[in-house]
Amino acid sequence: MKGLGVNRRQFLGGTAAGLALAGSTKLTRRAFAADKVVRIGFLAPLTGEVAAWGLPGLYGCQIWAEQVNAAGGVNINGEPHRIEFSSYDDEYLADKALQGAQKLVLEDDVKFIMMLGGDPWPGVQPFANRAKMLVSTLLPSDLSPDTPYLIAPAEVHPIYNVTGVEWLAEQRPELKTVAMCAQEDALGLPSIATYRAAFEAAGIDIVYDKFFDISTTDFAPIMTAMLASNPDIICLDTAYPDFVNLLTEQAFLQGFKGQMISCTCDNYQQIVDKTSPEFMEGFVFQFPDFDDPAMQQEQINFSNPKAFYETYQSRYPGTWSAVSWEYAAIMEQWKNAAEKAGSVEPLDVLEAMTEGGKGQHVFGPATWWGEELFGIDNALVGDWPVVAIRDGKAQIQEFRSIPAWWDKHKDLLLKHMSDLGQLWDQRT
Amino acid sequence: MFELILQTIVNALVASSATALMAVGLVLIFGVMRVINFAHGELFMVGAYAVWYLYAQNGWPFMAAIAAALVVVLLIGLVMERFLFRPMRGNPLGGLIMSVGVLFILQVVAVEFGGVGLMKHVPSAVRGTVDLFGTGVLVPWQRVVVIGVSAVLLILLWLFLHRTKVGFALRACAQDPEAAALQGISINKFSLIAMGLGAGLAGAAGGVMAPLVRVDPYMGHSVIVTAFIVIIVGGVGSLEGAVLAAVLYTFFHTFVTTFYDGTIATILGLLIMLLVLIVKPTGIMGTSEKV
Repeated sequence: MKGLGVNRRQFLGGTAAGLALAGSTKLTRRAFAADKVVRIGFLAPLTGEVAAWGLPGLYGCQIWAEQVNAAGGVNINGEPHRIEFSSYDDEYLADKALQGAQKLVLEDDVKFIMMLGGDPWPGVQPFANRAKMLVSTLLPSDLSPDTPYLIAPAEVHPIYNVTGVEWLAEQRPELKTVAMCAQEDALGLPSIATYRAAFEAAGIDIVYDKFFDISTTDFAPIMTAMLASNPDIICLDTAYPDFVNLLTEQAFLQGFKGQMISCTCDNYQQIVDKTSPEFMEGFVFQFPDFDDPAMQQEQINFSNPKAFYETYQSRYPGTWSAVSWEYAAIMEQWKNAAEKAGSVEPLDVLEAMTEGGKGQHVFGPATWWGEELFGIDNALVGDWPVVAIRDGKAQIQEFRSIPAWWDKHKDLLLKHMSDLGQLWDQRT
Repeated sequence: MFELILQTIVNALVASSATALMAVGLVLIFGVMRVINFAHGELFMVGAYAVWYLYAQNGWPFMAAIAAALVVVLLIGLVMERFLFRPMRGNPLGGLIMSVGVLFILQVVAVEFGGVGLMKHVPSAVRGTVDLFGTGVLVPWQRVVVIGVSAVLLILLWLFLHRTKVGFALRACAQDPEAAALQGISINKFSLIAMGLGAGLAGAAGGVMAPLVRVDPYMGHSVIVTAFIVIIVGGVGSLEGAVLAAVLYTFFHTFVTTFYDGTIATILGLLIMLLVLIVKPTGIMGTSEKV
């Protein structure tokens, strides 16, 4: 097994998952005698430098579809429908994304499109509006009053990061200063604004706060500069997962002994291996493993998260990331809304999903929100988990309310977003 | 402040080591073949992937994996010269387009080989840090390895070029290919050697840097931009100029990043290149071509 890079546990896990899937395929065939199929579009970067935000999501969706189809699929007015995904690689380019959206809608007849969002979205927006196609994004900064069919039902990036800072400030009041950095792009800018607001609200002084070039390959100078400000906390904002990996390693190698916080900490096991369990102990971030005991609670709106996580890990070891579950979580919401509406048509599903301004987020009950930031209430917010590494494993410490923080500190967030030109009417 | 300056010098030394290896290879290829090899960053990437596969995945010793990376990429370079660049000799645009084609092919091969997503995990071959002269400045041993390997390779290259007949002939080809041919030097043979050496150095640079950088199919983009800036500033065709410019540029970039801003450092680096092109178009150590 060693030569194949697979240990006994992974082999047994993979075999079990494979047998389960083989069995489920038979069940699926029996359940879908009528072969009714609903096609869902997956339009995200599957190659290129941003593929890490797309491809793991497609893997997650495929596992989710296998599980849902094995359990009978989507029930529309008493009739089971199998879910199938049509994927298109937008390469994180607007023109490719438009080609993909046209192909998915006009040729594949998809009923819903999931996107990463960001740079490709402006290419798709006019077409999506004309086609009245329901589209989801992981980046709520795509939302505006001109996007009535675009929703952000999984994550309201980067607003949920306030929960991590708030929790940390309560747990460790002795921490008084922070140094932070992020790449200068559509993810980094609103993230820095959010962390500025969160640290200010928590009474923590920002002693270093800079962007770095996205083409950076060597992070040693950046970490040297951050450590020179002698901070209690190093905050990596929403740096790309690989940047978090390299920056954290640099913090370790250059002798940092304080607290670390970040939006993500994908493949943290690798970072623990590169640094040490002691160094990573207490590292705070925002994305849980789905085998976490707290994820098995009743409020969680995701079918069998533990089985999903274990199948994912056995099939794609070491690739679990923030986006592995997010697109699948959106599908869970879509499925519930379609069953409630008794229809898979985009506008019916949208209406059922947003009825009464309330919804079911993956982490529990939530509210459709966002007008002051995005110009439209198409972002679903509720509780969000604060995760910390304990003994080398990510553990949810607490679910915290984003709306509760917003009610207390929204002026701060609006100010910092405005300072960086991140409000919807400031973006071009 | 003293510790900060010392740490920054160490950071800059590491960056300049790998950059010099890349730039010297690029200069060698351009000097002899007159080809602007846009795929040079991808050769760096292949070197990093070779080390990931052999060292991180299959347990080879780190140094053996670097040597293998050098050989693998050298062989790729030989294939590129023989089948792609040689038919395009005398057609700089054709060579350039060929190199862009190779760039995409190597990226796709890397995607097929290792997939996309999170970067490949290449653990440090030598863990831990050394306290520099007891100053409290911690230098990771892996960075010391980068400086050491790069220095050895550059010295070996210098000895090869200045102490062997093949090296003399290679430099003659780089200075004036037509005059070299008139002296009976085979341009085909020395193009092959130049391409192999240049590619091998890029592979070694990628391999030795693999534990320190993001190893993914697109990692070549950033390094090729830096390498082009360096060879333009140093003087296209000048090996010594490439090394000098690599040191100057990376020290400048690292110091500005540390003491001011990383984005500004990149912008200023490009401005310096433009300034050099305006004030001394041949670069710091380049010479004008004879008419």
